[in-house]
Amino acid sequence: MLSQATEFYVGTLLILYLVTLVGALGLNLQFGTTGIWNFGFAVSIGAGGYASSILALGAPTESSPQEYLFGASLPFPFPWAAGFIAGAIVSLGMGAVSMRRLRGDYQAIVLLLISVIATRLVQNQKSLFNGNRGLGLIPQPLRTAVDSSLAYQRLYLLVVAAVAVVTLILVRRITESPMGRVLRAVRDNPDAADAFGKNPFRARQYAMAIGGGLGGLSGAMLSSYITGWSPESWVMLTTFVLFTGVILGGPGNAWGVVAGIVFVPIGFRELTRLLPEVGYPGLVEALSLAAIGLLLLIALWLRPSGVLPERSVKYIRGAGRSSFALRARASRFSRQQKQTTPHRIGAEIDG
Amino acid sequence: MTFDMSLLVPAIGFGIIAGSTLSVAAVGFTLQFSVTGVFNLAYASVMAVSMFVALWFTQLGLNVWLTLPLAGLAASVLSVALNLGVIAPLVRRGIPMTGMVIATIAASLVIANLLLAVVRPGFSTYGTTQPTVYRFLGQIITSTQLQLLAISIGLMILVRLILVGTRLGKSMRAVASNEDLARSCGVNSPLVINLTWALSGFLGGVSAVIIGMSVSVFSTTTAQSFLVLILAAAILGGIGNPYGAMVGALTLGIAAELLAVVFAPQWKDVLALVVVIAVLLIRPQGIFAQFSEAT
Repeated sequence: MLSQATEFYVGTLLILYLVTLVGALGLNLQFGTTGIWNFGFAVSIGAGGYASSILALGAPTESSPQEYLFGASLPFPFPWAAGFIAGAIVSLGMGAVSMRRLRGDYQAIVLLLISVIATRLVQNQKSLFNGNRGLGLIPQPLRTAVDSSLAYQRLYLLVVAAVAVVTLILVRRITESPMGRVLRAVRDNPDAADAFGKNPFRARQYAMAIGGGLGGLSGAMLSSYITGWSPESWVMLTTFVLFTGVILGGPGNAWGVVAGIVFVPIGFRELTRLLPEVGYPGLVEALSLAAIGLLLLIALWLRPSGVLPERSVKYIRGAGRSSFALRARASRFSRQQKQTTPHRIGAEIDG
Repeated sequence: MTFDMSLLVPAIGFGIIAGSTLSVAAVGFTLQFSVTGVFNLAYASVMAVSMFVALWFTQLGLNVWLTLPLAGLAASVLSVALNLGVIAPLVRRGIPMTGMVIATIAASLVIANLLLAVVRPGFSTYGTTQPTVYRFLGQIITSTQLQLLAISIGLMILVRLILVGTRLGKSMRAVASNEDLARSCGVNSPLVINLTWALSGFLGGVSAVIIGMSVSVFSTTTAQSFLVLILAAAILGGIGNPYGAMVGALTLGIAAELLAVVFAPQWKDVLALVVVIAVLLIRPQGIFAQFSEAT
């Protein structure tokens, strides 16, 4: 069998993969299925991690070295459940701010701005979640059930795998259901959906809630495993890396996400870790980040529909491609319509 | 929330200076979005490159003021290369416009990290000589700041002249308004788009050096931290409207400084962004937009 060290390494990798998968499935529900370019997704992940951590750490005391808002010592699975709820609430809030009156590009940028605000807020206001240092020494769930680290890791892996499987089933059930049709309709043609009586805003909020909840759950699971959580754990890059994985795998398709996450971030991160540390410290990291960017550009170029495109919906004849690519094609002709554009300088100067 | 009333006037002064620094970049950004339709989030990484191009020139012995146009030129070239190599092909490929934002983020990752790989982490400075300091209405202002202010205003006037007085400007406005119609009227749209990238790149490059001089010490991530503010200023003024971007930048600069006086200074950025979001909720099209896109 494998040596203990190797098994531990592989186990960690698998846990990271499954945890990322849960979050990515959430993002896919928002972005792939419902068409929301949620550039603020990492905030939901962060919220979930914090919620789960403070509910496991216990109430903050005068003497504790970490400052945070409030806390409790709840047993598993309450912290994780709280993580889901926190992620859902945060996403709902962001959706309410950005989606009521804004469209398209504006939404995405506002979500990005909110994400930056959230990061700075947590960093500056130490009393919230211990600022930049973050929270640490987070008690691990079910730690007392087994003795050795290796046995605990196996247990953790089992639990996380179960959560991932349940998530996959849940997400598939949603996308295959009538609600899934509504979400896709809102993605592809919100005005038509509206005309048929399906409120686009409500549909989007539905996706934001569940997708955000999954993001929060992912954050909870990760923070519990690494027993720490700080703003670095949920930076903008996190959102972007998840987007890369989802787009690579095939937005809208849950199995595509399963495949995509294998490559980015998991495969990629591990591959670059194996590289020797050439040049000065940080060079390899910088180059690997550049490579991720390049990878995404190549992915966008080669396959706008991803590795596993969305299964064609039967009532669109001859489609056979994901709606991402469908819209891409359509947009080539309708680029001039530019539904989301605000006014142009031409009109403002001459008019 | 007590604060020192006497800090209010200097705050406005600082705000104007900060705002004008931001406005050159904001105008470049919004101009390019207006004509090309692409939210170019790689703008900041191009700015970062030009910051270091200017640094390189100063290390060769050139006076930092002379590096301004050179940095602008470098940024122009890089921007056009970005368009020709990455943006335009992807747009032709059929990527939806919102998807292009991801493409520009990806491009920004590539550019910023390649820059980091070459330049190495650390801080740099242009090492300007000690400027003369003036006092005015309780406000301390340096000659460098005044010169930068003058340059910013000059560039704004230049942009206005180009847009209104030249044929290129007219073509840009035409393409911004309706590309197909412009093409059928004989406007060479790809050329105009490339020239727009060049112009906005130039503005970005010059503003990057201005920022570098204002903050004195900078690193490869300095420009990136300004991107959010540039974005906010452009959106505040009504994205696509260069004059709106100027006003937006000034408003943001002043608001940020005033709020920093009332609350604590470290909240400056956060409050500025909150202001932007608040404005967008009330008036989603920004301050100056004429057509309402809110639904």
